[in-house]
Amino acid sequence: MKRAAAALLALLALGSCARADHRTRLYLQRFFGECGAEYGRSTDTANAEGECGIITALVNRFNAENPDIHIDVNVVAWPGYPQLTAQVAARDPPDLVTMHEGVISDYALKGLLEPVDHYLKQAGISTNDFTDASRAGVTINGHPYGLPWDTHGGLFHVNTALFAKAGLMRGGKPVLPNSPEELIAQSRQFQARTGKPYLIQSNVGDPAFAARNLYTYMMAQGAVLFPDAHHITLNTPIGVRVATFFRRINAEKLGTQNMDTPAAIAAFVSGEGGIYPTGTWMIGSFQQEAMTAGRPLYRSYAVFPYPRLWGQHVEFVSGHSWVVPTHKRTPAQRAAITRFFKFMAAHNYDWARTGHIPAFKSVLDDPRFKALPHRDDIAPLASIGRPLPSNVQRQNAIEGIVGEEGAAASTGQKPIARALADAERRVNDLLGGVE
Amino acid sequence: MAANLQRGRLTPLGWAGLTFAALLMVAPLLWALLLSLKNNAELVGHSGAALHPPYTLENYAAIFGNSLTLRWLLNSAIVALGQTAGVLILASLAGYAFARLEFPLRRTLFAIVLLGLAVPSQAVILPQHQLFAWLHLHNSYPGLILPGLVAPFGVFFMTTYMRGIPRELDEAAMLDGASRWTVFWKIIVPLTIPAQSTLAVFTFLGAWNDYWWPLISATKSNMYTLTVGLAAAQMNYAQTSGLGYLMAQAVFASIPIFIVYIIFQKQIVRAMAGAAVR
Repeated sequence: MKRAAAALLALLALGSCARADHRTRLYLQRFFGECGAEYGRSTDTANAEGECGIITALVNRFNAENPDIHIDVNVVAWPGYPQLTAQVAARDPPDLVTMHEGVISDYALKGLLEPVDHYLKQAGISTNDFTDASRAGVTINGHPYGLPWDTHGGLFHVNTALFAKAGLMRGGKPVLPNSPEELIAQSRQFQARTGKPYLIQSNVGDPAFAARNLYTYMMAQGAVLFPDAHHITLNTPIGVRVATFFRRINAEKLGTQNMDTPAAIAAFVSGEGGIYPTGTWMIGSFQQEAMTAGRPLYRSYAVFPYPRLWGQHVEFVSGHSWVVPTHKRTPAQRAAITRFFKFMAAHNYDWARTGHIPAFKSVLDDPRFKALPHRDDIAPLASIGRPLPSNVQRQNAIEGIVGEEGAAASTGQKPIARALADAERRVNDLLGGVE
Repeated sequence: MAANLQRGRLTPLGWAGLTFAALLMVAPLLWALLLSLKNNAELVGHSGAALHPPYTLENYAAIFGNSLTLRWLLNSAIVALGQTAGVLILASLAGYAFARLEFPLRRTLFAIVLLGLAVPSQAVILPQHQLFAWLHLHNSYPGLILPGLVAPFGVFFMTTYMRGIPRELDEAAMLDGASRWTVFWKIIVPLTIPAQSTLAVFTFLGAWNDYWWPLISATKSNMYTLTVGLAAAQMNYAQTSGLGYLMAQAVFASIPIFIVYIIFQKQIVRAMAGAAVR
């Protein structure tokens, strides 16, 4: 018995011996899902598909091309911030994290993220090569706090077959409105000729939809949404004008009613409406439908930034970025982060195949990018895109509140002035508690 | 016998009503199962496609294709079984003490335990997280199991149940020379099996389905429980174009719970009936 126990202990001791690993290890945390079954060993970035496939292949390729570095990947449930906050609180943050640009201020203003000027300089990346939207998205108090990775925002996804039936195609392209009145007129024409709603709307359980509409068209009219870092201003003549416009669309039934996101997506791919205003991330799925014979969207899909209805042509956007949480690191780890930034910047085109807008001007001008479907049409988002001010914290939570009250206003659940006032009060209460 | 009497009193209308209610209850589950057996692309256009073939197991294959799924399943099993065993032991011991023993501040302590029922877990999550960080217990099984052992409901439940067992049984055993431990272990515990089964099922369910604490305590992929791991594996925006995969995840995660219900069905019904009669 004693011999058996000794043998077992010896085996356990031997089993615990591992080959010495002299590689520099970085701990990367990201969302975008887990697809190890399909891309677990792939380094073929050119043929990977979808956000998950491309990011998995990119990290695999980085590991393969940098044998002295190894990146351990931790995939978190979207969006991953509760986990990151918990890791920061436990003083065990990752080395690299995917972060929405609107969230950077929450961490950076508390000193929880490193400014990345040094890494960018070492990697030979100039912030001048960032697109306007990307630079604004990662810059706080004059310093970049992340490597921008893309710009994403709302787009008008168009069913061109229905647009043709409605007589709203010119030169093979959909005619999009240039004013609120034009949009209403086109909606009526569309509805009269196709019998279907002009807009497909996800007004239920999708606060981002209503918030995007309100932010975009208030910004277009020169509204200052945040006069300072602790206050929002929505209940203004401009805010009321925008909300009244979307209320009118609903009152006249020019858009679908009571749909959540999956219902709206299903309606669009089933050819149940003309335009579905949703994000860049749906381009891949809709393009797939457009290439599948027999589907309602077959050869009938186009996509554009939100049209200019008032004032300037600008649009509310956000973006993904790579940030470095503040933590004690060795010089070798810092050098590895620099190499990772350089690698990722060099492969921004691969990521742009997801449908997101590239973060680098050079990729926007890259013929490979221009040759991708619809990219010429949506590329202006990189220059017309406007994030919220970088000194405003809690942008995710604010979007939830503004979207909820905005949807209540546009669907008639609340009088417009009350909904906007409620949104202001709730956001200001939230920001009042932020240091 | 009682069941036969009940059955005899049911009118055809009653039967029809019960059948309708049963179908109503099972319909969402069947719907989820059917969706899980469909190709995602087909469901994007119309979820009604779930009602007709072809069906596929590709969503389940995708779950198992992830190399970590079985690890998450094992983690969930360890955490849920660990919490269940711990709660049963602690709640039984505490319940016996509160129900049978006289000791100073017994009523006050019991009141404090009951107050625990009124404290939502969210209210203590920050200090709890800090404490576990200080103890270096995050990303470990003890870190996932220990918070679940604080179970005021379990103590209350076992105390109430044990109070209903006649004291004469303890006294008779003691007259025969049994120690306090023997009385607890040989007399009281066997009599509380129905209650233990019920508490076990509730605790197991709570631990298996828990999302919030594992989300912030297990921050490394290999320590995720199934709920957190499956959520992390979702690929597109809110899994809106992967409805079949989402439903396959739900079905897969619920299978162990389903098995637990089937195994402990009799005990649960008996315990509920006993509680109702008492």
